[in-house]
Amino acid sequence: MTHSATRRSAGGVHVTQDHLWMRPLFWGVLLCICVAGIPYADALFRWLEPDARQVIYQRAPFYALLSRHLLVVGVAAVVTIAVGVAAGIAVTRKRGRDFLPLVAQLASLGQTFPPVAVLALAVPVLGFGTLPIIMALMLYGLLPIVRNTLAGLQEVDADIKMSARAMGMTPAQILYQVELPLAAPVILAGIRTSVTINIATAALGATVGASNLGDPIIAGIINGNMAYVVQGALIIALLALTLDSLFDSMQTRWRQRLSSS
Amino acid sequence: MIELSQVSKRFGDETAVDAISLKVPNGKFCALVGTSGCGKSTTLRMINRLIERSSGDIILDGQAIEAYDPVKLRRRIGYVIQSTGLFPHWTVARNIGLVPRLLKWSAEDVQARVEELMGLLGLPIEEFAHKYPHQLSGGQAQRVGVARALAADPDILLMDEPFGALDPITRVKLQDELAGLQARLHKTVVFVTHDMDEALKLADHLVVMRDGQIVQQGTPLALLQRPKDPFVESLLGGLERGLKQAALSRVKDHMSSLGPTLPSQYRIAADCSLRQALSVMLRDHTDRLTVVDQHDVPIGELSLRRVVKEAQLEKGATRDA
Repeated sequence: MTHSATRRSAGGVHVTQDHLWMRPLFWGVLLCICVAGIPYADALFRWLEPDARQVIYQRAPFYALLSRHLLVVGVAAVVTIAVGVAAGIAVTRKRGRDFLPLVAQLASLGQTFPPVAVLALAVPVLGFGTLPIIMALMLYGLLPIVRNTLAGLQEVDADIKMSARAMGMTPAQILYQVELPLAAPVILAGIRTSVTINIATAALGATVGASNLGDPIIAGIINGNMAYVVQGALIIALLALTLDSLFDSMQTRWRQRLSSS
Repeated sequence: MIELSQVSKRFGDETAVDAISLKVPNGKFCALVGTSGCGKSTTLRMINRLIERSSGDIILDGQAIEAYDPVKLRRRIGYVIQSTGLFPHWTVARNIGLVPRLLKWSAEDVQARVEELMGLLGLPIEEFAHKYPHQLSGGQAQRVGVARALAADPDILLMDEPFGALDPITRVKLQDELAGLQARLHKTVVFVTHDMDEALKLADHLVVMRDGQIVQQGTPLALLQRPKDPFVESLLGGLERGLKQAALSRVKDHMSSLGPTLPSQYRIAADCSLRQALSVMLRDHTDRLTVVDQHDVPIGELSLRRVVKEAQLEKGATRDA
């Protein structure tokens, strides 16, 4: 990495992007501060709910809720990325092209389904807990990834693909060395949308017994305790901002690699 | 040696290429010329099997092209297209080294070859090796395209309107460089263009195509002297044909030795084309020019009468032949 950076600087196009990772770092630090600091901010939340018996959510520590939230979103993301990107690749190959319209439609169908409905349908089959919410997140997060993989691969200049073939690259070499790197920023944008949406959607898991950052919000609504709601929402928002800005930096980084000017 | 016999390509009901036969001997430069949609690019792509033909035979060095694995076949055939097709996420050096790397050359060999080619195509290594394609001008990018095609030293080079998108000055410069390269490397070249001047300038063998068929083929001079029909004639420039023919011959081949008469004050270099000489005569209102060598020493004389007379003789000779 450093090697390529110095080589590029020799070409006179060196772009230092030391500040590139500053934003995700900033949100990440703020997230950690909140997770660690909320239990000690009794006075602050007391001001929000002066009459409540307790103002800090106690049923589980925030770091545990956060890690379970991340686990759910992470598992769903890994599966959706694997399935979504693979599906996008498969239907843009010669053999799978017949399935292109079908896959595009299925993926949009996932998006038209409200996540609550998926949960309602999944609970009788998968029971309460974490599994139905992972199911819902996967269905929900698949569309942006499939759609962007398709768009990214289809946007690769036909002349570039043809000349790759004409140079004697095998289909696999063309896919890995030409098509995927060129489509990567668009695919990454799809993953970013998918993950960001799912961070918020995962909170719904609390309604079917998955313990995560949605818990304080649901408990707060049931008990009429605004302080709980704010605590859950604040951490979810900071988590979303951290990951979103992290993806943003990754996309910028990749764009620079593609057209470093 | 590339040999096409009765090669056709049909897309559905449409016949893109219709039973064409063509031979390109080793080391020769063959230009396919025609209006857009005449099947010349399709013909080119059938040679490296980017497009599979519908019928007919294509023979490469005595072997039918089916005998070769398509991927391996393409690695030994250079290919240059108008839009360059360079990989935007790779540096110039990496782009050029593509085919040698596919052929599993060692890193040092690839590096040495890339440097050699960049030198050959006038791309200073320090300046260009680490640039990306979008940082290059059109002419520079096409030089990289040509270098990439030549990287594994293929015997055959296919070029699909490589200079079509360049400005006229860059285009002429690259044409001259390609002619120079070809004089040294002796590749077997099939070159597609719709620019007849480009074809006349570069080709040993000229093939005129229309509606998927070959209308006429032969040496540039033969076609200029005897266009088969009005279509070929109009492609060859109609009334300008005489000048295009003059552009193919050099002053030094037509000059006479210095005579007893006073040498003309107007001079022309021996390496100029006859067309340029005629232009100088028109500009300077003279019918005689003194031919000089590269050191500006007079070595002969060129007169309008003689040029016209020789053209007459040549025409007579081809008629008799």
